[in-house]
This record gives sequence, C-alpha cells and structure tokens, in this order.
Amino acid sequence: MDATTASHLQELRRGTVVLGCLVRLREPDYGYALLESLNRIGITVDANTLYPLLRRLEKQGLLTSEWNTDEARPRKFYRTSPAGEQLAGVLTADWKHIDRALARLTSGEGS
Amino acid sequence: MTTPAATLTDRYVWAAARTLPEPQREEFGRELRERIGDEVDARRGSGAPDDDAEFAVLVELGDPAALAARYLDRPLHLIGPRYYLTWKRLVTMLLAIVLPIAVGAVLLAQALAGAPVGEVFASAFSVGFSLAVQLAFWPTLVFAIIERNPGSGPVERWTPERLPTIPDDGRGGRLGDLIASLVFLGLFAGVIIWQGYGAPVANPLGESVPVLSPDLWSFWIPWFLVLIGLEMVFATAIYAWGWNWWLAIVNLLLNVAFAVPALWLFTTGRLVNPEFLDVVGWPWGEAGGIVVTIIVFAVIAVSVWDVIDGVIKTVRRRGGSALSLGRI
Repeated sequence: MDATTASHLQELRRGTVVLGCLVRLREPDYGYALLESLNRIGITVDANTLYPLLRRLEKQGLLTSEWNTDEARPRKFYRTSPAGEQLAGVLTADWKHIDRALARLTSGEGS
Repeated sequence: MTTPAATLTDRYVWAAARTLPEPQREEFGRELRERIGDEVDARRGSGAPDDDAEFAVLVELGDPAALAARYLDRPLHLIGPRYYLTWKRLVTMLLAIVLPIAVGAVLLAQALAGAPVGEVFASAFSVGFSLAVQLAFWPTLVFAIIERNPGSGPVERWTPERLPTIPDDGRGGRLGDLIASLVFLGLFAGVIIWQGYGAPVANPLGESVPVLSPDLWSFWIPWFLVLIGLEMVFATAIYAWGWNWWLAIVNLLLNVAFAVPALWLFTTGRLVNPEFLDVVGWPWGEAGGIVVTIIVFAVIAVSVWDVIDGVIKTVRRRGGSALSLGRI
C-alpha cells in the first residue's frame, strides 16, 4: 500500500476506533485484550493509538475504569459510561447516515 | 547507576513518568507496566526469550518522553498550527518596524556623539543583532507557554477587513507619482539656479550671496542639473514601463551619483559658499557639528530609502499582476 492510501485509510478509520471501543467496552475489559479483539474483528488499531485513546476517553467521562488486582499483574478494566453509551448511539446513527449517503452516491441517485 | 534490582521496564516507566505532574505518576506507571507486561507476554508466547522480548517491546514503545507526551496529549512542537500564524505576523512586524527604527536611532546617536565611523557601525550592528534576538525570543517564549496552557484564550480571529489592498500597478496609479516627481525635480533645479543669482541672503553691502560655492559652476552644479534631468527621464520611464530590475539598478546609480559627490563636497567644505556661511554666522557654536551630522545622515537615509523603495516596488510587481490572478 502506498503512503497516500495509507494516510487516507488512517484518516477514515480514526473515528471508528472510538466507536469500536465504546461499543466493545459495554463488557469491561483491559487494554491488551481490547486491542486484540478489535483487531481480530477487523477494526485495525495499534497500541500507540489505543492506550492514549483509552486514557482520553476516561478523562472525558465516556469510560469508567477499575483496577483488577486478582491476578499477578494488576490490570485496569475499562467500561463504557452512560455518557459513552449516548455518544456511541450518536456516532452509530451518523455512521449509518454516511453509509446510506455513500450508497446513494455510488448508485447514482444522488446526482 | 540504578539499583541492580531495577529492570529495563522499571527504568523505562521511571523515565516516562518523571515528565508527568506528580499526582498522575502513580496511576500512569501502573498503566504503563500493565501494557509492557501484556506485550512482553504476547512476544514470549510466540517463542522469544524473556530478555529479548522485553527489549523488543521497549524498542517498539520508543522514546519514553515522546510516549508520555502522547498519553497526555501534550504538544511535541514549540508553536502549533493554532498560534503559528499569529506568532509569525507578530514577530515579522516587530522585526520590520522596531528593528530599523532602533538601529537608525543608534546610528544617529553615535554619529552625534562624534564616535569614529567604525565604532558607529559596530555598535549599531551589535545593538541590532541583540535586539533582533530579543524581539524573536520573547514573543516565541510567550506563545510556547500559551501553546502548553489548556485553558488558552481565543485566537486572534481573521476577518476580511484584514485583506491586503492589491497594489495598483496600472498607469493610473503611477501618474500621481510621475507628476509629483516632475514638479519636485523642476523646483529643485529651479532653486539651484535661482540661489546663484537672486538668493534672499545679502551681505552688509546689499549684494545677494549665493548659497552654493560659485566655483562649483565650472563642473559640479551642471553635473547635478544634468542628474536632475536624468531623474526626470527616469520618472517618465517608471511611468511608462513600471518598475523592473533594470530601472531599480538605474535608480541605485542615480542615487549614488547624486549623494556621493554631494556628501563629499559638503563634508570637505566645498559645497557651501564661505561668504554665505559668514553672513549666516556659521558655525553656530556647539550646534554646528550636530547640524552637519544630521544633514549627512538625512541625505544617506533618503538615498538608501529611495533605493530600497525601488527594489520593494520591483519585487512586488514581479509577484505577478495581482488583479489578473485567477481571472481568465
């Protein structure tokens, strides 16, 4: 993939990672597990983006967190807050709206 | 050295956390340990030895200071796009306005104080240099602090009123310049000729005394009159063709041809008629030296500015005919 394509893809996907996290974290989980599962289902994100993003979403009150110290390595478990749930709804609606608009464009209805 | 017990991870976490505000360090350190631990485990799971896995993970994480900045949304640039243009306008304006005024003031003050030429320029240069550094440094410092201040105020808003006026490079705009130049040059030539015959200054015998040395009529006064004629031709050429590099060079030559002999004659005391000096009571005590310095200074300043003005107009014009940009 050439650099131009890569940078445009990155732009396009930026917002989807936020939506992916908010929806996926309805079930509490920790950073690395979230990273793996998002990448497994096809929402590509790298660790350097995800970890700071989780921190930012928590600061904005969209995620809540809790330390789990049951295992040898303490892990921070994130969960989508009510505000995060609401944002996920708005983002999903917008995503579908854009999808429909693009579909109309491709089928030629829009022109 | 760190204590023997400290692992690479310990050192990495410490290096990253120390750039954070104290209250956030504990939590951040735990988060980072979790991340490193999980990534090391993942590598170990794919068969890498423990030490290699840890090393490789840290290499991938990169510079701890950069990592901490990413976690904190802290800018890694001095002045970002939000403030860059405001900063640039301010610094450019300061350098373009304050610097020439200050350097000019130092030159004048030093010259009035009677300092040797070398010293005058040396002190003007050193003042100019340190002032330029100061003018660039302080606004930059303030903007860098604002850039790092999350609750920063509104950025200077751009409005259409700030659009620059397009320079009128049509003949219409230059006609005023032409008329002003011709009138001024004509008056100037007239004054030079008139002072030789009917100047208002008279000696005790009632004879009128020329201001300029009568000896100069053999060569230098005709020289200046011819130059004035050439300046008129030059002004007409500017009107006809507009500024270009050839005319800017001609402008430089004309200025040199005028200012250098004038200053030379003036400073060697051959320009002004000695009899005229007697009549007006020259030298006027202490003031004499200062008046001479100011006159020399003014002549140089006017000539230099005229040359620079020509170059500026040439460069602007070569920027393209702005009115036709984007029009077909």
